[in-house]
Amino acid sequence: MRRFTREAGLWLLTIPILLWTLLPIYHIFLFSISSKDSAFSGALWPDKPTLRNFGTIVREEHFYLHHFWVQIWNSLWIAVAVGVLTLATATCAAFAISRLKVRGGRTVMNLALFTYFIPAAFLAIPMYKAMGAYGLLNSRWSLVLAMVTLAAPYAIWVLKQASDKLPYELDEAARIDGATPLQLFRLVYLPLMTPSLVAIGTYALLLAWNEYLYAYLLLSHERTITLAVALGHFISADDSPWELLMATGLVYALPPAAIYYAFRRYMVGGLTAGAVKA
Amino acid sequence: MAAVSFRELKKNFGHTRVLHGISLEIADGEFMVLVGPSGCGKSTLLRMLAGLEEISAGSIAIDDRVVNELESKDRDIAMVFQSYALYPHMTVRDNMGFSLKLRKDEKRRIDERVARAAKILNLEPYLKRYPRELSGGQRQRVAMGRAIVRDPKVFLFDEPLSNLDAKLRVAMRAEIKALHQRLKTTTVYVTHDQVEAMTMADRIAVMNEGRIEQLGAPLELYDRPANLFVAQFIGSPAMNVFDGTLKNEAVEALGASWPAPQNRGGDGQAVKYGIRPEHLQLGRDGVPAEVVVVEPMGHETELLVRINDIDLIVVMQGRSAHAPGERIFLAPQAANAHLFDAASGRRI
Repeated sequence: MRRFTREAGLWLLTIPILLWTLLPIYHIFLFSISSKDSAFSGALWPDKPTLRNFGTIVREEHFYLHHFWVQIWNSLWIAVAVGVLTLATATCAAFAISRLKVRGGRTVMNLALFTYFIPAAFLAIPMYKAMGAYGLLNSRWSLVLAMVTLAAPYAIWVLKQASDKLPYELDEAARIDGATPLQLFRLVYLPLMTPSLVAIGTYALLLAWNEYLYAYLLLSHERTITLAVALGHFISADDSPWELLMATGLVYALPPAAIYYAFRRYMVGGLTAGAVKA
Repeated sequence: MAAVSFRELKKNFGHTRVLHGISLEIADGEFMVLVGPSGCGKSTLLRMLAGLEEISAGSIAIDDRVVNELESKDRDIAMVFQSYALYPHMTVRDNMGFSLKLRKDEKRRIDERVARAAKILNLEPYLKRYPRELSGGQRQRVAMGRAIVRDPKVFLFDEPLSNLDAKLRVAMRAEIKALHQRLKTTTVYVTHDQVEAMTMADRIAVMNEGRIEQLGAPLELYDRPANLFVAQFIGSPAMNVFDGTLKNEAVEALGASWPAPQNRGGDGQAVKYGIRPEHLQLGRDGVPAEVVVVEPMGHETELLVRINDIDLIVVMQGRSAHAPGERIFLAPQAANAHLFDAASGRRI
């Protein structure tokens, strides 16, 4: 009986939270399959559901969507570049600090932790100035570099924690077996770190994919901005095409959902693996 | 195969000195066991030989070549770790062949040598398995296989049996010894278990607090321990030791007179009297004692007896009819008694 009440209590808590989370998504979905006239009808299901909005997007048939494909390509390019670069930097740092025990590793870790205290928004203007000084404004690289800077400390921290959990005897055994540090990295370290690497790579990729503030500041040309920024432009007009905004938003949300689904096993395992030091 | 020599080897961790000038010659083909309590420096010494720890002072030579500055891989050694340290993402075959692969040996040659090692260790059915699919004993054998495959000059074992259960430990002990007799490779074996040391070693170096207390063949250490530490460390159950005073070729202790071996000390000297449990016999007269606990083992019986609030252990062959609370008489074998200086702990 006690178990029943406990489970019932859990359900009573879970169902509202689930509804609360899913309602906006359902709302987006509803908008995206409604025609412009019925979008604000308030019905729970449109009279005539339509996929025409998606056709409009794909064929770039609206003023705000003229550069849809270029912009989504920008988003993708930047996200993948951030994922790859963050992973490369953080993996090397974690390996050097955790396994090779280089001098100053502790300081790097403390500095990485320190960056948590500075809100990302705080650095937006200095970053804008810096990118301007390097002449990188309006280049994809400006956003890539900025996002790698923001993602790397957390990535280093998590990967270092995960590395620490690999038994050090493995490195010693490899050294005796004749492995150079690079061979150790490639043949022993990377294969064993795969779950954490997938998790962190995905984390950085999605961070960049979802970024708005930095993208908005650093990129301004219609053909260089990401889709996230382009979505923002939709509501700058008096007569915003809400159904197209929502449909584009839905399209924009699909890749992250797919990635999460594909790597869900690693995401949970990889991130928590580094979270607690056993 | 090779001889190993440590000369005045010292090791500091920060300001703490953990090895105080170790000198030790290990002969070609010898099975040398370093034994001692935890923290005595035995593992550090082994790891210095392996090239995993820096040498603070002194030198290590393998076959007369000083290896102080050589990388582990260039020392021609192979090591078996307590935790096995198998690569979890590689099959048994790849684990064993890893060092050869790094050396860029031909694939055919690698396969050949892995197959040979697998045959020696009865690992043939498991070559395609991953370490997580093996039992503790099998993992231990793979770790040994990884060492054998390289055909090194020296095998290093760092407490390789500590993670195994008691029964398997005994079996692996015999396997390692048989392997050594077959391959005749110089071996340095670290353990804190004196039984392992006694059963496996050609020679044992008993270490304590960064020094070698005594070096010798197992039975030599057992029969003539150089000091109290070795006397009490080697042998199970441990040697009985108690305070006494030399008087007329005997030792006055625990309110009785204990026969002493050829007496080299002077009358009135304060000594520690040591006698192994199997060298205390029960007689019709002798030192009176009270039986406290009787532990029958089948082939022998251990008695815990008490004299003047001091507990002693007596091991007698076969079975015993004695019961707790009974009064008995102990007859020590004088020839097998040991005398140590009370102050220095050295053998007299």
